[in-house]
Amino acid sequence: MPPGLDNLKHIVVLMMENRSFDHMLGSLAAVDPRIDGVTDALSNPDTTGASVKPQPLAEFQSQLDPDPDHHFRAVDLQIFGGDTSPARTANMQGFVKSYFNQQEDVGHSQKIMYYFTQSQLPVLTTLALEFAVFNRWFASIPGPTICNRAFAHYGTSFGRVDMNPIYINEPFKNIYDRLLNANPKHTAKLYYYDATSSTMEVANLLQNEPELFGTYQQFLDDCNSGNLPQYSFIEPNYNDHDSDSGEEVANDQHPDHNVQAGELFIASVYNAIKQNADLWTSTALLIVYDEHGGIYDHVVPPACPPDQFTASANDTGTGQPFAFDRLGVRVPAILVSPWIPKGTVVSNRVFDHASIPATITRFFLGSYSPRSPRESNADVFIEPNVAPVDPARNLLSLDTMRTDCPDFDV
Amino acid sequence: MTLIHVPRPDLKIAMNPDRPVNALLKAQVQHLHGAERNLPVRHRTDIYINAIKTEGEAAEYIRQVTTAIHEAHKAAAKKPTRGIAIAAVASDGIPEKSKVSRKAKKRSPKKKTGSTT
Repeated sequence: MPPGLDNLKHIVVLMMENRSFDHMLGSLAAVDPRIDGVTDALSNPDTTGASVKPQPLAEFQSQLDPDPDHHFRAVDLQIFGGDTSPARTANMQGFVKSYFNQQEDVGHSQKIMYYFTQSQLPVLTTLALEFAVFNRWFASIPGPTICNRAFAHYGTSFGRVDMNPIYINEPFKNIYDRLLNANPKHTAKLYYYDATSSTMEVANLLQNEPELFGTYQQFLDDCNSGNLPQYSFIEPNYNDHDSDSGEEVANDQHPDHNVQAGELFIASVYNAIKQNADLWTSTALLIVYDEHGGIYDHVVPPACPPDQFTASANDTGTGQPFAFDRLGVRVPAILVSPWIPKGTVVSNRVFDHASIPATITRFFLGSYSPRSPRESNADVFIEPNVAPVDPARNLLSLDTMRTDCPDFDV
Repeated sequence: MTLIHVPRPDLKIAMNPDRPVNALLKAQVQHLHGAERNLPVRHRTDIYINAIKTEGEAAEYIRQVTTAIHEAHKAAAKKPTRGIAIAAVASDGIPEKSKVSRKAKKRSPKKKTGSTT
């Protein structure tokens, strides 16, 4: 069997906030044309009809204020350009129009097209170029945070497309309980940054199973001591606050939080795994963003098999119900492991956050039922270590572990 | 092996607990408020969430309720449950009929909390 899969004992998922692929990694198309990023051919019309091209003018903070709208109705406008006809086609032409609606300032609305240069984001772009970057990882829903994060925990949002609490009314267990209740028992933990940042999974997991949670400091300690669970899900710091160790700046990268603080956080997670040689050998780290945050991306989200739920026209705000049969806007996603060949670009395969419980379940548990239709149809980013492993799909494909992986000076 | 330098943000600019609370934090506060209403009274805060306007204020509420949820679960785990208490009474030899009637008298109607299943 591939040694990368034979050695794999831990999978860590770090989910950041609200940035699109083109905004964060679009600049890399100029470095590696296999990466589907920003080109000169792309544009969006503003409300005067002028063509606005993506420009490498993104700033770390204070530029996307107010927070770009990314609720279902606004994302519908961003994807379909304002066409509400039954025969409409997604064209990604409504981002500037959508941002204009918030302040009615043409100049400000054009900033939604701005993207970061490679040198501004040394952590994310280095990891993308060094390990595996996904050209087609989409948010699970064309909507906001809570429902998208639910797909990472449950493989469904149970019919929700908004920020309301998600109540579990179907027998789809969260990925943590699946692992903890398995025979033999597996290990899993959610690490929120600290109690002052807490989690976005309040209504079910924190309220009913607080023992699932640890802090980021516990994650660091678990890495140091070699006690990392088989599956770890990390949440960033969602707010600015004081702590015993000083000022804690939000590092989730949600507009208008500082993007450099998020870079430091990503590097800190990477370093924590890499500094323990045994852990580095046996761990895969997925860095992914929950949704695009209303920020421009040029790739049309594909249709997908529907979930068994339907959001009402009232809930979507568009006048039309939604059957969860289209993915959300594309987001950055990078898989890190010393068993991945440098410069891997994953194209021609589609992933979304339902791929997270799908992958964890199949790798650690094998077959499992019941799972939501969306999760059952989701692709996996790590192949199950069961013969025969398809070499064309296995990303941890090296015969010997790399020794040239970068370190970050944090 | 390459060492990549990671620039640090200027804390004086980046740190702003007086920033107006964003939609995500508002939702988080509301979800925590829903959870807080399910806590035993002694674990609840006296913070009025409609008055939370800044990120710093939201952060303080989030900290208090998150801590309270953990503490309430720990406290509940230490206490014998009602079911165990009833079983203990039953094992003391109280006749089945009177045990049921005592239980029925003492039990107050269940509140609908809206909590998840």
